[in-house]
Amino acid sequence: MATATLSGGQIGRSLPRLEGRDKVTGRAEYTHLMQLPGMLHAKIFRSTVAHGRIKSVDTSAARKVPGVYAVYTSDDVLNVIAEPYYGPAFHDQPILAIGKVHFVGEPVAVVLASDPHVADQAAQQIVAEYEELPAVFDEVEAAENKTLVHAELKPAGTFADLKHLKGRKGTNIALDFGLRRGDVDKAFASAPHVFEHTFRTQKVLHLPLEPHASIADYRDDGVTIYSSAQGPSFVRTEIARLLGWPENRVRIKVPYLGGGYGGKLYIKLEALALAMSMLARRPVKIAHTMEEHFYTITKHPTTFRIKSGVDQDGRITARKCEVWWNGGAYADIGPRVTQKSGFTASGPYDIDNVSIDSYALYTNLTPAGALRGFGIPQLVWAYESHTDMIARALKRDPLEFRKQNLLRDGQPQATGTILKDTAIEKVLDRIAERLNWKRPFDRGKGAVRRGRGFAVALKAVISPTTSVAIVNVSADGSTTLYCGTVDMGQGSDTAMAQMVGEVLNMPAESVRVVPRDTDVTPYDMGTLGSRSLFHMGLAVRLAAEEARAKIGDLRRELGEPEGSNAPLADLFRKKYGMQAGNIVGTGIYKPDYIPPDANGLTTNVTPFWMVAGSGVEIEVDTETGHVRISRLINVADVGKPINPKIVETQLSGASLMQLGFSMFEKMHIDGGQVTNASLADYKIPGMHDVPPVMENEIVDTYQTNGPFGAKGVGELATFGLSPAIANAIDDAVGVRLTELPLTAEAVFRALRAKDNKPLGDE
Amino acid sequence: MMAFELLEPASLKDAIALIDPDDPEVRPIAGGTALMLMMKAGVFRPRRLVSLRKLGEAFTCIAAVSAGELTIGAMAPLSALEHSPVVARGAPVIVRTLRRLSNVRVRNVATIGGALAHADPHMDLPPVLIALGATISVAGPDGERTMGVEELLTGYYETSLAKNELITQLHIPAQGEARAAYFKVTSGSADDWPSLGVAVALRAEGTIVKSARIVVSAATAKATRLKAAEAALIGAGADDKTLKKMADAAVDEADIIADLRGSASYKRELLRVYAARAVRSAMQTSGASL
Repeated sequence: MATATLSGGQIGRSLPRLEGRDKVTGRAEYTHLMQLPGMLHAKIFRSTVAHGRIKSVDTSAARKVPGVYAVYTSDDVLNVIAEPYYGPAFHDQPILAIGKVHFVGEPVAVVLASDPHVADQAAQQIVAEYEELPAVFDEVEAAENKTLVHAELKPAGTFADLKHLKGRKGTNIALDFGLRRGDVDKAFASAPHVFEHTFRTQKVLHLPLEPHASIADYRDDGVTIYSSAQGPSFVRTEIARLLGWPENRVRIKVPYLGGGYGGKLYIKLEALALAMSMLARRPVKIAHTMEEHFYTITKHPTTFRIKSGVDQDGRITARKCEVWWNGGAYADIGPRVTQKSGFTASGPYDIDNVSIDSYALYTNLTPAGALRGFGIPQLVWAYESHTDMIARALKRDPLEFRKQNLLRDGQPQATGTILKDTAIEKVLDRIAERLNWKRPFDRGKGAVRRGRGFAVALKAVISPTTSVAIVNVSADGSTTLYCGTVDMGQGSDTAMAQMVGEVLNMPAESVRVVPRDTDVTPYDMGTLGSRSLFHMGLAVRLAAEEARAKIGDLRRELGEPEGSNAPLADLFRKKYGMQAGNIVGTGIYKPDYIPPDANGLTTNVTPFWMVAGSGVEIEVDTETGHVRISRLINVADVGKPINPKIVETQLSGASLMQLGFSMFEKMHIDGGQVTNASLADYKIPGMHDVPPVMENEIVDTYQTNGPFGAKGVGELATFGLSPAIANAIDDAVGVRLTELPLTAEAVFRALRAKDNKPLGDE
Repeated sequence: MMAFELLEPASLKDAIALIDPDDPEVRPIAGGTALMLMMKAGVFRPRRLVSLRKLGEAFTCIAAVSAGELTIGAMAPLSALEHSPVVARGAPVIVRTLRRLSNVRVRNVATIGGALAHADPHMDLPPVLIALGATISVAGPDGERTMGVEELLTGYYETSLAKNELITQLHIPAQGEARAAYFKVTSGSADDWPSLGVAVALRAEGTIVKSARIVVSAATAKATRLKAAEAALIGAGADDKTLKKMADAAVDEADIIADLRGSASYKRELLRVYAARAVRSAMQTSGASL
């Protein structure tokens, strides 16, 4: 029998997900399916104009629909919440539109009824009149500040680097992050080769299969909100702020999520559900339809102008990055995306002179937030396409050119933070080995041409963020973990239980992980940016270690011999005379962090670096432009995997999600109207889109400061895929696409343009 | 979606009688895969739906009648066709087409009659059925009539059915030595609606094409026969030169429209390529096996 100091054998175990059986047998709890006694259903009436002053909202016909309980507009909301604006970075988003609407789909009024179909029918009877105002949709155009989305900026005060924007007028720029390292202008002037390209990404959706859902149950002495939220602690803080209440009167309960991907972060439907429950004095549920995803939160479209200087030896001497982030009508977490991803916009390369300008912009579109990568996939798309284009233009092997310029451990990244525990070169080498990069490649014949490409990326995890965990050992020795990390499909409950089991020497299956409930589970920043396994993992380990130390104290107190393995239940019984008592361990983790200086530089930007890359082999049908990915390779540095099987499914899942964003997903927008706002017209990858060969490799590494050597995984395989495919298309047929998605028509048009037979636009 | 009356008549006569041709809020419902989406979106708000589910076995029966002709009840689910040995023998191209038609959930619920009556130009089966020369039986208050699937489809979601006429049966003539192929060409996800559909059914002696039906769909307002392309092919060998002539004729005569799934100019090029590929594929197919 092992003593407490020996390994519990739980780390590195491919344990099936603890909740898997409940999920596949339909027993798992989701907000979307929950009912409360006396509950009303809310249906939202939305704006049909992109920017306009509200002249009137006629709710009379809706009120007359039999079964309607009430119809509310912002006039009603203002009666119960004086300042009904919310948001993580800016308090700019009204619960219901006040005076103006800022995007098509913005909530204007709400119908409540016991029957959701009645509410839906009544919402369709509401008529609003608007005085339309000029609107701006393009991020680069928005930066010119000719058409303004908001009269004045309203930073939330949560983030120090946004404070200078308070009260600023006449601008659409919600954050301008700048980084200056060396002197790019001087370096460009002396560089024998200078390359400049512009890349764009499109507007796409998170599209979790469980749409957003919140139920608010407001009472005079407290409110309980059940929500499909990725960050219950943040929701509690924001709801308490809106109410002017202490946090302990606000309870946020989060069951399992049917996916999140960043779309359920911070605060979404919770404030609206709260306001409706305050007005109705009954529990109110808002559960979105699939179509309402298109009017809630999206990924940021971007324009990225990137310029590099290369010396005669092939060293990149300077890189200038200008990135415009299309944040839509409300900031959400866009300013964070703009800054945090901005740190690494120049890529995983050792470049002496770097200039980065990253702008968060308001436009009259559905708001944009974080989507599996926190902005990194948009940046990698540009810098790994650009880097490949430089290599090809200089007639250098793309692998050798990258290796010549690659950052390595011990070197400072653009911010000045020294790289540590990064396997960038190993990841790159493994992709190249799997692709047999050095060996001849069958380039196809006839109409079908084959090519291959790859890309590698670096991300600084979002910092500083805090996690708290509690481990509770009961008198029979059974153990419960309280942590706020939301399991939205990534397997965090299983991984956290494995860590508790490792420390306390018990099978992970025996550890109870309490569903998230802010009355019970302690603070956590949120389940975002691949941070939980590292941050919460460290908090969980500390909590378990504290419990283990207390168990050790108890053994000594009871006179147990050193190395005794007397069962825990016996210890409790001996101490308390019966099966009674608890041992509670707590753990708090917050990494050290130094905010960037005026030049965007800091020696500690992140507690850990994320590294991953992708490689593909493709076939291009030159007669139609169709691209078929015949082999897809993801290689990632995850530190030591806690649960290798779940890591692999996280890599394959992220990669397939990015495959959709790379190849075909796109919100088509015409004058601010989304013209394909349904799953019939907006397709995500299906089984037929999965490449016939898909390989996921975890390189052998160890994250020194991570829990049991581990670090974050969830976003990794989204990073490199888009540029890997574009690079492979260039390799196959010699055309370069600079805008996502890489549709068959886009490839075909590029092929025709190359042959001087451009295809008409009709 | 508000409350409505759902009737499930047990006879065709009753079903027809329950449909009020002058009331747009009364409609028949078969599998409902399209109609339910329209109801969820608020585009269609029924007062009464007349379900055809309880009309009896005769309306779901799939049978080979004399000389290899297939008769299929209008209420047969698409998956019943997909898995029917009778269909596999009589018109294997239908089984091949069904494998990539929408998804298994839709195929289990959607019916062949409902799919035809819906007349969405993106559907995969109408061009195939037109190429095979299929006909339908239609029943109304004044009795039965038959028409070709080609005559059924008159425009974008438009048919030649009266509001109170119901499709009762689909007839696929014996294919004999005919060879057929269908290409569903998507521009995005493989699960998406097609940008272009091309169906070909032909008879050949040696390398010489004796008869051919070529049908374009998805890129056009309705599934449409391309008769100039057919003429270019008939009497010639399916060589590169003839196929180019045939494909150019197809592009010239098809009225291609732009949508989210591609510009008209791109879809014309897709048709040029896939018309030839469909003929080649049909030539390589033997009429009698999968």
